[in-house]
Amino acid sequence: MAPTRTVKSSMKGAKSSSKPSALGAKKKPKAPPPKQQKTKPAQGPAKKKRRVYTDKELGIPKLNMITPVGVDLPKGKKKGKVFVDDQESMMTILAIVNANKEGQIESKMMKSRQMEEIREARRKEAEARQEQRKSKLEETKDSMRKKRKRKPDVAVDTESSDSVPKESKGGKAGRKRVSFA
Amino acid sequence: MRPLTEPETQTLFSKLANYTGPSLKALIAPPPSSSSKEDTRMVFRMHQSRVYYCSLHIANLATSIARPNLLSVGTCLGKFTKTGKFRLHITALDIIAPHARYKVWVKPNGEMPFLYGGNIVKAHVGRWSEDCPEHQGVVVLKMDDTPLGFGVTARSTAETKRLEPTGITVFRQADVGEYLREEDTLFTT
Repeated sequence: MAPTRTVKSSMKGAKSSSKPSALGAKKKPKAPPPKQQKTKPAQGPAKKKRRVYTDKELGIPKLNMITPVGVDLPKGKKKGKVFVDDQESMMTILAIVNANKEGQIESKMMKSRQMEEIREARRKEAEARQEQRKSKLEETKDSMRKKRKRKPDVAVDTESSDSVPKESKGGKAGRKRVSFA
Repeated sequence: MRPLTEPETQTLFSKLANYTGPSLKALIAPPPSSSSKEDTRMVFRMHQSRVYYCSLHIANLATSIARPNLLSVGTCLGKFTKTGKFRLHITALDIIAPHARYKVWVKPNGEMPFLYGGNIVKAHVGRWSEDCPEHQGVVVLKMDDTPLGFGVTARSTAETKRLEPTGITVFRQADVGEYLREEDTLFTT
């Protein structure tokens, strides 16, 4: 308010100084002053109404401050615990919990069943491998046995039947003998 | 003494649901055949971190007793730990046994080892509920269906079949032997 008024007066003063004093004196009492006065007081109260809000009122958080969880309570919320004592809300909580548990058990069962299947498949595979190994071993055993059986046959076939006993006799004869008379 | 808050109710129910099936509803809402007066409604109340299950009538009567003087009301189900978890006590056995989802019956020669605080070995199992998964809460019963306690399965039913007789099938959590063993601490706060 105050500074605007002073500015006006200075302007008026300047005008009056430039123009002849007699003219200025005639104009002044007529129209302009009341008009200007009306408009300017109207602007003044509007500026006065502007309210300055504090940070707290606006809910602006303070800078460089850490507020621990739970210390800053939400506005407009009731303080204290909220109890569950009516049957309906307890039933809804129970239904949620039951559904959760059911799901957990189901997933556990599924998992264990899958694991069981995998284990079964692995066991069968291992068994089949064992069987294969066993059969291979048997095969080699059989072939060895056949070879062993065949060798004496071959010897019999190739050499004359008499030669063998002769050899054996010769072997016996060749052995050194010691006799005590 | 106060009612439970929502997270507390959830924790309690999820613990109870470990052992019981969907018939747990009967705990909150008694069957309509029984007299459905407001006073006979069963409620959960918390007193010094312990949870009690009692009728509303008794809970209301108990409000006339000063908190430090009140020792126990109704049936104690268990207590909340300082970390917010819930621990079932053996006193809850009477409430969970009729609604049990999975059960294990122990032979007479396995009763005493269990009641002295031991786990249940395969040789002592008389029969068990089929299709029971691993680490699932079970109620332990005598062969004549008397509840002895509760525990958690060590293996699933299928795996247990392959187990040697000395292998553990159920880890003990609570047994009725505690009434004697924990006599001094069971009801003190």
